[in-house]
Amino acid sequence: MNLPFSRIAFRPIISTLLRQKYAMTMLLLQIALTLAVISNGLFIISQRLDILQRPSGIDEPNIFVLTSSGFTENFNPQTSMQADLAELRQMPNIINAVATYSFPFSGSGDWDELQTLAGSDQNTVPAASYKLDENGIDALGLSLLAGENFTASEVLWQTEDNKTFPSVAIITTSVATDLFNTTDWASVVGKTIYINDIHSVVVKGIVLQLQAPWDPVGQIENSIIYPRVVTRNSARYLIRAKLSMLQETTADVEQYLGMSNQQRMIRKVESIKTIRKQVYGPDIAAITILLVVITALSIISAMGIAGMASFNVIKRHKQIGIRRALGANKVDILSHFFVENIIQTTGGIFIGCIFALGLNVFLVAQYALPKLPLTYIFIGIFCLYLLGILATLKPALKAMNISPAEATRSQ
Amino acid sequence: MFHYYLKLSLKSIGRQKSLSVLISTTLGLGIAACMITYSLIYLMSKDPLPNKSNRVYHVQLDNWHRNSAAIEPNLPPEEVTWRDAMNIVHAKQAKYQAAHAITWGMVTPANKNVPPFLGIIRATQGEFFPMFDVPFLYGQGWQNHPINHVEYVTVLSKETNQRVFAGINSVGKTLPMLGKLFTVVGVLDEWHPSPKFFDMSFGAFYPPEDLYVPLQIKAELELPHGGHTHCWEKDLGDNYQAFLNSECVNFNLWIELASQQNKPQFDNYLQTYVEQQKGLGRFPRVSNNIVLNINQWLVYKKVISSDMYLFFYLALLFLLVCLFNAASLISTKFTAKNSEIALRRALGANQLAILSQCLTETLILGCLGALIGIIFCLMGLEGIKYLYPNFSAFVTLDMPLMLITVGISILSSVLAGLIPSIKVSMLAPAGYLK
Repeated sequence: MNLPFSRIAFRPIISTLLRQKYAMTMLLLQIALTLAVISNGLFIISQRLDILQRPSGIDEPNIFVLTSSGFTENFNPQTSMQADLAELRQMPNIINAVATYSFPFSGSGDWDELQTLAGSDQNTVPAASYKLDENGIDALGLSLLAGENFTASEVLWQTEDNKTFPSVAIITTSVATDLFNTTDWASVVGKTIYINDIHSVVVKGIVLQLQAPWDPVGQIENSIIYPRVVTRNSARYLIRAKLSMLQETTADVEQYLGMSNQQRMIRKVESIKTIRKQVYGPDIAAITILLVVITALSIISAMGIAGMASFNVIKRHKQIGIRRALGANKVDILSHFFVENIIQTTGGIFIGCIFALGLNVFLVAQYALPKLPLTYIFIGIFCLYLLGILATLKPALKAMNISPAEATRSQ
Repeated sequence: MFHYYLKLSLKSIGRQKSLSVLISTTLGLGIAACMITYSLIYLMSKDPLPNKSNRVYHVQLDNWHRNSAAIEPNLPPEEVTWRDAMNIVHAKQAKYQAAHAITWGMVTPANKNVPPFLGIIRATQGEFFPMFDVPFLYGQGWQNHPINHVEYVTVLSKETNQRVFAGINSVGKTLPMLGKLFTVVGVLDEWHPSPKFFDMSFGAFYPPEDLYVPLQIKAELELPHGGHTHCWEKDLGDNYQAFLNSECVNFNLWIELASQQNKPQFDNYLQTYVEQQKGLGRFPRVSNNIVLNINQWLVYKKVISSDMYLFFYLALLFLLVCLFNAASLISTKFTAKNSEIALRRALGANQLAILSQCLTETLILGCLGALIGIIFCLMGLEGIKYLYPNFSAFVTLDMPLMLITVGISILSSVLAGLIPSIKVSMLAPAGYLK
């Protein structure tokens, strides 16, 4: 059988390529560097995407927050807060509302050290602390896996300086695992844990996930909820609207609260979605910039490959005509250019693998990036072959259509 | 002669328009990528106080828990306690000294047409203003007040003065805020230090505060603790005074020395102070004072995120790819006119003449590349401002950056065009004349 493949003359192709030493070197280096940047760039992008995809545990799309700041002498933070929350909770489009200074993405909050045994020589587990009343779990949209929610009588209403500690707490599954090394959540409920060496609380419930408001220690899944409400002149409400009612509800609430009490002002009305975007701004920016660099680089490389191929087609116009006249068919000419391209790309990829690993070694050393998994090099290689073939397509088609009669014309 | 080369080059570029545009665009893209990323690093590392950044110092003391560092591995906290702030400032061992912290509170202008607003306030001792060369439009700041001396005065930012007093000279006017009546003693001019070196707790490029009040006001009115507040003691008392007496850090402490030579003297004083406090049972850790000048402090705080360097290195590789690309395109461009060059050689032009003409042509391509590069660069910086809203205040293409862009572009074009030019000038004419 006579496969088209067997008609490809590799030797002449390679010897032509070797004759254009300078241009070939430039092209190979280009392909190699492109591979290095694409594979490392895609890897960094995927890491940033992992950060963006960390689950917060809360009903992100339907929650918004606002700040109510009292500014008159006789403004009473606690009665104002209780009145506001009672009113908000019975509004038809609101699932629930809660007063809290911290929530996922809020960027500030306290961290506590948790222990199963008291004593400064015992191991501690860090956890971000949330202070919520009995409506907190519903308002944030958390899923309670084991145990129970707080009851209203357990909730401590405190001013900022009052440090009385509650007797129960709810923890996330990751805290439960870190403390008790188990995934049997029900077994953790009812156990006593120690906070910051001096307070003891009983675990009342376990929630699946609740991201920390900020992450100074690299344990963003670890959170603990206390039944406390801290009252300050400035209060922050977190409100969960019914599905797809966010915008409407935000406007209603802002108007209602603005009118209901003239001793305070409503400000910083923001959806979780907006806040999240700000928090992850640098990561989103990095992804965007890397994508732009990778795309531009691919285009430049493709232009280089296409430019070289079309130049060759023009230069070999007459030879192609002669080959056609001597019996080469259109597929032969087409495959000649593609094989030429594939050989070029393969050469570039060999150097490129070394560059890619070298660049990664540099990044690991300088910026403590993880090692580049080989998958990303393979993705880069695939992209480059695809790019090369696409870039060669037009010049190769042009070459294919050169008529055998060209052989008889002089240049 | 150059004039002739110029004419020939322009003709040649005109003849191969699309190829020439392709070469210049390639160069321009590579240069823009480099310049966008470089300008970020350059602008972020600009000295915020060039006249005296080497003698204005940030002071850190290690008052932390015996068995755990404030910041791992073994660094002191970046802020100091109220007690240390008061003691060191009132010891007056430097030319200027000021402790300051961020706080906030309601500003309720007497004019009913100006709605009340929550003002972001810097509570600071008065030497903050001369130490950081803070520009005043009207009036001035205040002296460092003695301990427990309370004076209800305030300095407004230009924006706040615009908002509350419609931009007039408001010095001497009163402003009700924080439940008290404050007297305006000064109004700042435009002041957007980037990086905001004196307090980076909300990020290095956070806008400055709306108002300034004396530090003692914070204690007197028990204003909230903004910025970084860290404590290590387990059982703090239940009131505001307990916080001030505790080991909780919240205050940024800065000093200005009359000259760098006084630094050892100040270090000695600080060491003596720590020893003395150890005598009182404080500072359980090995003493670890860190006194850094502004630029050292910016490096310590890693103001330029590693992302910025990462982008810059990738952009450099990008420029390299563009260079290789341009080199092979220029080589193609010259090869295409082999016969023309052979003809000129045959008519008497020597190799040097051909080389000069080819280099002239690449230089023109380089200039075109610079122009395209600057345009891409401006577009890219707009993109950067969109991606990093905090950077808007300082991201511009200033003159030095512009000149670097042109320089790199011309250098790149010569680098890319040199070998093809040499090759084409060494051509043996005979073969191409048939």
